[in-house]
Amino acid sequence: MARFLFLAIAALGLLAALGTVLARDLVRAGLHLVAFFFCVACLFVVLEAEFLAAAQVLIYIGAVAILLMFGIMLTRNAAGGEADLSGGWRVPAILAGLAVFAALAFGINNTVSPAGAGPWARVVERPALEPADAAWKAERSRAIDDMPRVVGEQFMTRYALAFELAGLLLTAALVGAVALAREDEAADSVAEPEPGAEARPPVATSPRPSTTTAP
Amino acid sequence: MDVGTALIAQSHRVDLSLSTAIVWALWLFVGFAGVFPGIVAYMVWLERKVAARFQDRIGPNRVGPFGLLQPIADAIKLIIKESIVPRPADGLIHLIAPVLVLVSAFLSLAVVPFAVGLAPIDPPSGLVYLIAVSSVGPLGIFLAGWSSRNKYSLLGAMRAVAQLVSYEIPQVLSTIPVALWAGSLSLVTIFDHQATFGWNAFNPPGFLAFVIFLIAGAAEVNRTPFDIPEAESEIIAGYHTEYSGMRFGLFFLAEYLSVFVVGCVATVLFLGGGAPLPFSAFPRNLIDGSLGGLVAANAILLTVFLLKVLLFIFVMFWVRATLPRMRIDRLMNFAWKYLVPLCLLNILLAAAWFEVVVRPGRVVASRWATGMIVLGMLTAGAVQLVFRVNRRLAAAAPIDADWPTVGSRAARAGR
Amino acid sequence: MNNDIPLSWFLYFSAASFAIGLTGVLLRRNAVAVLMAIEIMLNAANVNLVAFWRYGTPAAGSGPMPGVILALLVITVAAAEVAVGLGLILLCYRRWRAVDVDRYDTLSG
Repeated sequence: MARFLFLAIAALGLLAALGTVLARDLVRAGLHLVAFFFCVACLFVVLEAEFLAAAQVLIYIGAVAILLMFGIMLTRNAAGGEADLSGGWRVPAILAGLAVFAALAFGINNTVSPAGAGPWARVVERPALEPADAAWKAERSRAIDDMPRVVGEQFMTRYALAFELAGLLLTAALVGAVALAREDEAADSVAEPEPGAEARPPVATSPRPSTTTAP
Repeated sequence: MDVGTALIAQSHRVDLSLSTAIVWALWLFVGFAGVFPGIVAYMVWLERKVAARFQDRIGPNRVGPFGLLQPIADAIKLIIKESIVPRPADGLIHLIAPVLVLVSAFLSLAVVPFAVGLAPIDPPSGLVYLIAVSSVGPLGIFLAGWSSRNKYSLLGAMRAVAQLVSYEIPQVLSTIPVALWAGSLSLVTIFDHQATFGWNAFNPPGFLAFVIFLIAGAAEVNRTPFDIPEAESEIIAGYHTEYSGMRFGLFFLAEYLSVFVVGCVATVLFLGGGAPLPFSAFPRNLIDGSLGGLVAANAILLTVFLLKVLLFIFVMFWVRATLPRMRIDRLMNFAWKYLVPLCLLNILLAAAWFEVVVRPGRVVASRWATGMIVLGMLTAGAVQLVFRVNRRLAAAAPIDADWPTVGSRAARAGR
Repeated sequence: MNNDIPLSWFLYFSAASFAIGLTGVLLRRNAVAVLMAIEIMLNAANVNLVAFWRYGTPAAGSGPMPGVILALLVITVAAAEVAVGLGLILLCYRRWRAVDVDRYDTLSG
């Protein structure tokens, strides 16, 4: 049952990814991309990371996809011929894709994993957590059962630095995106500080403001 | 969200028994295919009645007693009407868009605990799930406007996405205090938490969050005074101008369903779910293991829950019948300059309330009174501060003011 | 015979979508489409991270969920990347009235 589910999700996901790459119409490509994001969220649920799945839907479909749609709308070429595939690069691109896939498949099937673990292809089932005889098993089953809380704890303790850096990055991206997308229309009023600039939220909303500030 | 985990045989959260399957089927076919659309149909009837009374009319009264069969007649009309798709429209996307909007509204209902044990699913990250699925709606609206190849549709879609994306932020930020106090993102835990500590709307930061949530919620579902995406007098019908027949019906269903969802979520988060009394576990202490107790408690909870939701729905209709539409620049200013800073301040106040009242683990009368007085003053101060700062900023920079005054252009020229 | 999904299936899915994303980056001319293909590649990496988290036994002292945390950080960075990337694309579009990446050739002598 689980295998069947996985195969269905994976097939849909790969089809959607192909659609993103091959669709001539950019909005259709975006729609395929949304389908791909959703399939990846489904895979996260299958991997028992439902918080991550919710975050994936929230950030990728709710923010990134809409932002991309706005980007498509704002950069539409009036002179037709949107989104041609690049002709001369077709064969090398497909060859490069196949080569990368072959290399990765070679890695999956051969012993490149940590010493003594054997090739990844030999791992056929996830470690059972039920008899919690090791500390990590208890830890992990708590992480699966109450993922938002554990993620919060981890971000506040072990990964505090990474968390702060991510916040800094988002703030920088927010400011940068606003600065880039601003038109130079207000040449006479550019000296005055932008009111409400300090009212923007610092974290977790970064893709949004640029949709509202982009002209 | 639990369905995937339940399917994995090795998981320690195996739940693939027949009873689960039956419960799921019941939810799907009775709840989502039967009861919720029925509620929506009668919400439309109620809205027409309420709006009619506000305008000193009678409202629908031809079909059935009090016009009670009107929604059914409307539904039949919508279903048998021809569905016209404009020739240049992108057929597939034109079809998918209303479905996306409707699915987003339906999925939001999947985590709402209507009574004890009467929630379709209870994922530990329920609130994030709720926000995630409700953020899919704007995408559908955008696609609807884009695929219609109509400038009014496109304008409406642009307005809609700008508005929805902006108001999502205060809506999300205003739920943070609730999650903070309950110490969980699960809606069931939040519901339980309020049995001990009183309804979340009944303390100062909670009340502020509640008001912000309602305002942002009204904007999220495109209700007046925030209905600029489908402003009839400006852009015909916005993103669903080119929709007819049952495709329009899906948008219609989705819109009223989201009003219902906002009412449900506000009830669960801020008004203690179905509890009739603020500080008591009243109907829940009827549950003593016997079936009768469970049924009695759930009947009370469900009735009170639906009454509270009805109250919210009525307030939305009331506001719609009373207030004019906002202008888009004021709308954006209101979200970004008033609601978002207020929410951020409110999170600090909520943390203070947590320390004062929630930390001991039960309600202590003296601490509760202290918290009410001190935080009440602080909350009022925060609102004052935000409004005053905004007034001052608006006065200092008349071009970006949220009301362009007559003198502003002259002032700019003279500067 | 157990019922679980083998780890390698996730890895193959991830490898395949990464390859598709790479092909897309090389194949598409439109800058927004290139950005979309990059998102596909980032998502493929995320699937890998979470799959290894769930299937592997952790090294001592690595915390309960290193893979998930890393995936969350990747999502964050991807969101920031899209915001800035689209800002750049808009800027280039305004300057050259083109979104095709091979038309941005001012730097080539």
